[in-house]
Amino acid sequence: MTRLRRAGLAPDRGPLAVAAEGSGGLRLLALDPEARALGLKPGEPLGRVRARIGVPLQVHPADPEADRAALLRLCRWAEGYAPGVAPFGAAEAADGFYIDVAEASHLRGGEAKLVDDLAGRLARSNIPARIALADTPGGAFALACYGASDRVVVPPGGAAEPLRGLPVAALRLDPGTVAGLQRLGLRRVGEVDALARGPLARRFGEALLLRLDQAMGRRPEPLAPLTEEAAYRAARGFLDPIGRQSDIVVTARLLMAEIAPRLERDGVGACALRLVLHRVDGVMRVLDLGLSRPERCPERVAALVSLRLDRLGAGLDAGFGFETVALTVTVTGTLSVRQTELGAAPQGDGIDALADALTQRLGRPLLRLGARASHIPERAAHTLPWTLHGSDSASRKSRPALSPARERGLAPRPASCESDSPWTSAPTSWPDHLPPRPLVLFPRGEAALDVLSTVPEGPPRRFRWRARIHAIVHAEGPERIAAEWWHAPAEARDYYRVECEAGRRLWLYRDGPHAPGRPAAWFVHGVFA
Amino acid sequence: MGPDPANQTGRDPALGSPRERLAALRVRLAGPGGQAAPRPVLPLGLEAIDAHLPGGGLALGPPHEIAPMEPADMVAALGFALALCAARLARTQGAALIAAAPNQPLPHGHGLAGLGLDPARLLLLEAGGDAEVFRALEAALHARALPVLVGLLADGLPLKPGRRLQLAAEGGADGDAPPLLLILRPAEAGLPNGAATRWRIASAPAARDRFGTLDKPRWRARLERCRNGRGGDWLVEWDHAAHRLRLPEPLARDAAAAGRSRA
Repeated sequence: MTRLRRAGLAPDRGPLAVAAEGSGGLRLLALDPEARALGLKPGEPLGRVRARIGVPLQVHPADPEADRAALLRLCRWAEGYAPGVAPFGAAEAADGFYIDVAEASHLRGGEAKLVDDLAGRLARSNIPARIALADTPGGAFALACYGASDRVVVPPGGAAEPLRGLPVAALRLDPGTVAGLQRLGLRRVGEVDALARGPLARRFGEALLLRLDQAMGRRPEPLAPLTEEAAYRAARGFLDPIGRQSDIVVTARLLMAEIAPRLERDGVGACALRLVLHRVDGVMRVLDLGLSRPERCPERVAALVSLRLDRLGAGLDAGFGFETVALTVTVTGTLSVRQTELGAAPQGDGIDALADALTQRLGRPLLRLGARASHIPERAAHTLPWTLHGSDSASRKSRPALSPARERGLAPRPASCESDSPWTSAPTSWPDHLPPRPLVLFPRGEAALDVLSTVPEGPPRRFRWRARIHAIVHAEGPERIAAEWWHAPAEARDYYRVECEAGRRLWLYRDGPHAPGRPAAWFVHGVFA
Repeated sequence: MGPDPANQTGRDPALGSPRERLAALRVRLAGPGGQAAPRPVLPLGLEAIDAHLPGGGLALGPPHEIAPMEPADMVAALGFALALCAARLARTQGAALIAAAPNQPLPHGHGLAGLGLDPARLLLLEAGGDAEVFRALEAALHARALPVLVGLLADGLPLKPGRRLQLAAEGGADGDAPPLLLILRPAEAGLPNGAATRWRIASAPAARDRFGTLDKPRWRARLERCRNGRGGDWLVEWDHAAHRLRLPEPLARDAAAAGRSRA
């Protein structure tokens, strides 16, 4: 509902409902306050509702995926309060998330102030929310969903008391258990808690006691946070939001300087970084920075951030400014302390810095040419992301051998590489016994038309290609290149090097003849220098 | 009214032929210090061509424009550019960067051996357009990490980016030679720009070896425009083993023909 209104998909006023396919046609799923005031309830069939109320009702189809995405966005935003944020799962059967504010509430001036701040911000964004803060996730959930007020803060150690008055459904039980408890006249949590545990467990199973204990704080409940807590993370909040690029760069440098000693202690460097900027109005900007080799120098990271912001330009849209800036090292690689050799040229360093600068400035990785163990010309070479030779592939974590399955132009960032087959993933060296190959090879052969040859199945004398007649004065070949039957069934090709009258040298191949009915076809596969 | 040139020559009889006068003028324009430091150049190893180029070779730093004679000669132009690239790499360490606009022909790794170029010393950047190529080249010029930069453009080199590239090339004054900057552009007539030279390349029938098979690539290279130099037109041959351009030896064929006629 709120998502629809915020996205401008639904009008701001008038009763609004979200409907989804249920038993017996469309049924209402969610209602806004105006619709609820008309006496509508979730679960009613849409047709009957339309007939009953006299006012036009805005109905939108339910989109659970978009709802989920919106909730995740909200979770990401809430990470500004504390790193441990876990969205509700299937057991909760509600939209919401937990924030683990342990050890984090003092940053906002105490728990009550934190909840006030959260509620105020959500209200300013027109997101209706019920917030409860308690000792246990179960208790907080029960109070948020079934509590009397939409803002509850339970003092430490007092989790059990307010829960006793809540309905049993607040314990996150499956509907069958809830119905069974109600049949026995057990409507409140306190009533269930007062009973003997043995019979309860026998009748309703272990799940009921588990949920009860979790809510009461007698058993721990681990949360599954959205993002794993990063070992190398630093964040800085600002009383006055910052908006200038130079301020962000300086902050990134300070944060990296904060992380660097930890990285150094563990003998690693950052291969990929994530800079998260929390804007005052709740929008988050996430900048992912990749480095061509492990790095822990704050100045270099700051320079890369600066380049990245340069590229974003107005796309960053600082708005009223950023209030929290967080820097996380997402991928690390071993970086031992190096001694610079006297007299040795700092070979890779310059290229390294340039590769990173280009990646950040243009968003395109630097590539290099790689050979592949294949006879098929178009498979025999490909492009790979450029990395520093030698030290990189062996020492880097989470960066496996480069995948050969990638064609030109499709090379993603090296961090996401995966090798597809073990026997071709080893880097192949360039063969030195190959017959001449064209300087430019087309991804696939381009058909040569109107081929005229003097010898049957010999090289052509003239043909048409790219709207031009080519008269051949010299031909060498054939070089037969057999197909790789283990990849796909295909026929062998006969390649010829030809030179035409104008002096252009082309690489032609003949495909066929395969069968009496199918004559041979000629293709131009490359051009020599 | 300007001074009458005839009067000037009359007043200064020491200056004779136009060429000497030009040379004297260049000395005066170069300033009181004379030639401060000769610009580093890449000699092509061919006296016939180097004599046409100021400083005896392709100046390192300012952009050199290479265009095909007609669109179908694009690969020949790329070959010529990569040959120059190989010539420079053979004399220095480091790698070459090829920044290409979309749909420009990129070299095939196995084909580079024919030019004597090691594929491991090539870096490729697939840019999203000419503007990105210029930005990449500019960044690389500032970084001074690579000895050769090649830009493959879809449209051409306009005046402003050309000027920017030149400024970037002049920027680093810390002793290391600036990179060789080659700009490959399509055949269409180019706009005036800051390029130091403009070459037009067409393919030519390749040299044949003793057995009559295709051997060394040959190109017809026309030096269309050359700042402080003279244009020219040559048939050149690339020797991939020695990493140098050569003029085809007319004697070889004549000798063969003579031998045939004798036989």
